[in-house]
Amino acid sequence: MPDHQDIADRPTATAAVATETWTRPAPGEAQFLALLRADPARELENMARRAQQLTRQHFGRAITLYAPLYLANFCSGGCAYCGFAADRPHPRRRLEPAEVTAELAAMKAMGFEQVLLLTGERTPQADFDYLLANVRAAARVMHEVTVEAFPMTVAEYRQLAAAGCTGVTLYQETYDPVSYAQWHRWGPKRDYAARLEAPARALEAGIRTIGLGALLGLADPISEAVALYRHVCALQKHYWRSGVSVSFPRLRPEAGGFTPPAPVSDTQLAQIILAFRICLPDTPLVLSTRESPALRDGLAGLGITRMSVASRTTVGGYSQAAVHATGQFAVSDERDIATFCAMLRQQGLDPVFKNWDAAYRVAGEA
Amino acid sequence: MLNDIDNHDALVLGGQAFASRLLLGTGKFADASVMMRAVQAAGTQLVTVALRRCDRDRPHDALLEPLLSRKDLVLMPNTSGARTAAEAVRAAYIARDLCGSRFVKVEIHPNPHHLMPDAIETYEAARQLARDGFVVMPYMPADPVLAKRLEEVGCASVMPLGSAIGSGQGLATAELLRLIIRDARIPVIVDAGLRSPAQAAAALELGCAAVLVNTAIAVAGDPPAMAEAFAQAVQAGRKAFRAGIMTTGEASATSPLTAFLRHEG
Repeated sequence: MPDHQDIADRPTATAAVATETWTRPAPGEAQFLALLRADPARELENMARRAQQLTRQHFGRAITLYAPLYLANFCSGGCAYCGFAADRPHPRRRLEPAEVTAELAAMKAMGFEQVLLLTGERTPQADFDYLLANVRAAARVMHEVTVEAFPMTVAEYRQLAAAGCTGVTLYQETYDPVSYAQWHRWGPKRDYAARLEAPARALEAGIRTIGLGALLGLADPISEAVALYRHVCALQKHYWRSGVSVSFPRLRPEAGGFTPPAPVSDTQLAQIILAFRICLPDTPLVLSTRESPALRDGLAGLGITRMSVASRTTVGGYSQAAVHATGQFAVSDERDIATFCAMLRQQGLDPVFKNWDAAYRVAGEA
Repeated sequence: MLNDIDNHDALVLGGQAFASRLLLGTGKFADASVMMRAVQAAGTQLVTVALRRCDRDRPHDALLEPLLSRKDLVLMPNTSGARTAAEAVRAAYIARDLCGSRFVKVEIHPNPHHLMPDAIETYEAARQLARDGFVVMPYMPADPVLAKRLEEVGCASVMPLGSAIGSGQGLATAELLRLIIRDARIPVIVDAGLRSPAQAAAALELGCAAVLVNTAIAVAGDPPAMAEAFAQAVQAGRKAFRAGIMTTGEASATSPLTAFLRHEG
């Protein structure tokens, strides 16, 4: 790979991405905004038709499947909406190496080739070295290893890439700084700007794909969608060798403990997803098992191209007998893989477990 | 006369003769059985399959197994997903062993969104793989100079894009394809961008040796029927090219344009 350090503005590129997210309208933004504001009673069906056609054109009938693996539920963060926040009373644990091996083996046996490793904000129990060791372990088993954890430095992301991590997911949660300050009550995550720059740092370090998202329900959804759209466009421009995907995590009104201040309805969520598909036709769009079977079935192939399935959001959920542990969020779609894949096939969609090969990992990996 | 044209018109790649000039991509289908029915209906003899989609950790891969069972089919694994020459070369070796084929479609598109081929990395990978004895078929931008450079390093064909992958914009690069075809000593195969059989026929009429189609067939309402339609169009286009297509020109002037020279008799 040619070294792109020679481009003069490199040291400021990560900051430029953050600045552009705030200041520069992205190409196609006017159309995007018009779609977000369209009257769903009149326009949603038209949007759905266009979105489905574009999805087929760019992704065919494939729906890529992955599963999250919660490594630890220790967390130093104070996110008011999160089941794993530091002030929640529930028991903490982390997976030890033998347990990680067992979990990965169980997931592999289920058919998975893509795993998303998750931890909370940095703690002594689940720090960078712990994460790095688990990326190495996962890369020995799975073709594609992605990470959803705390923001890191360029040097740390570089180590993750060398260990076999191909993708990083990092949601800004909310792009509204006032709301951000309100819900992130303490710790390093209070630093809005540092988090906004982190996806660019990951790509700067050679991570291949970045997953962005806003936690819908925290602030005005239209403003969030526009900021997210700008963030995607800025990253695509500065890191042209990288893939950017967009997720749509939503705080469910019925989920216990936290009432979202700006709840997003099913229709609003669908409209946002369709607008993203129409304006970013070749960008993978992701929907997790937070959402209901009916909504997931409807949006699969209508814009959504990547989905988690049979997720366990508890630590040690795949290989160990089901215990009533508290997950990070409530799984709404609890269908097993066979049932979910049967649904996709019935819709003429192709469940894809492997869409990457370890042969493409960076040369000289650890 | 026309039968004569048909009988002596094989596409030769890597020393191997192919009667069919329609190559198929295997991605984007609803499932492997639809894909196989499309391959059958197309009469295709050469198909490309992405290493990244092949499950090489488990036996009986849904995509690979039915393709490998068809002994009359030549597999051309592709390196889609590679961002650099080094990655593509490594993938080519793994895919060769997996598919048991000397053919490789070098596909290096570092930008995962628009999937445009990287001319520099493609050239380097093609050079190495041709040297190593692969039958190299590079997916490339429609660049006449690059086409000659790839020919010089030993590629079996060049595969310039008609338009962006999945775009269905047809032969947007027609003028550049004309130059590539005019200069080429190896088969020119249009890869990517064809939406309809008419566009495939146009590519063959232009002088392309073959076309590779995936999205247009995979996402059609009836993929096998569309595969058959493409096959017929490819045959028609090739036959027209071989038969000699009439040229068009301005209507002739009523009085001679060189009359002013007649005094020299």
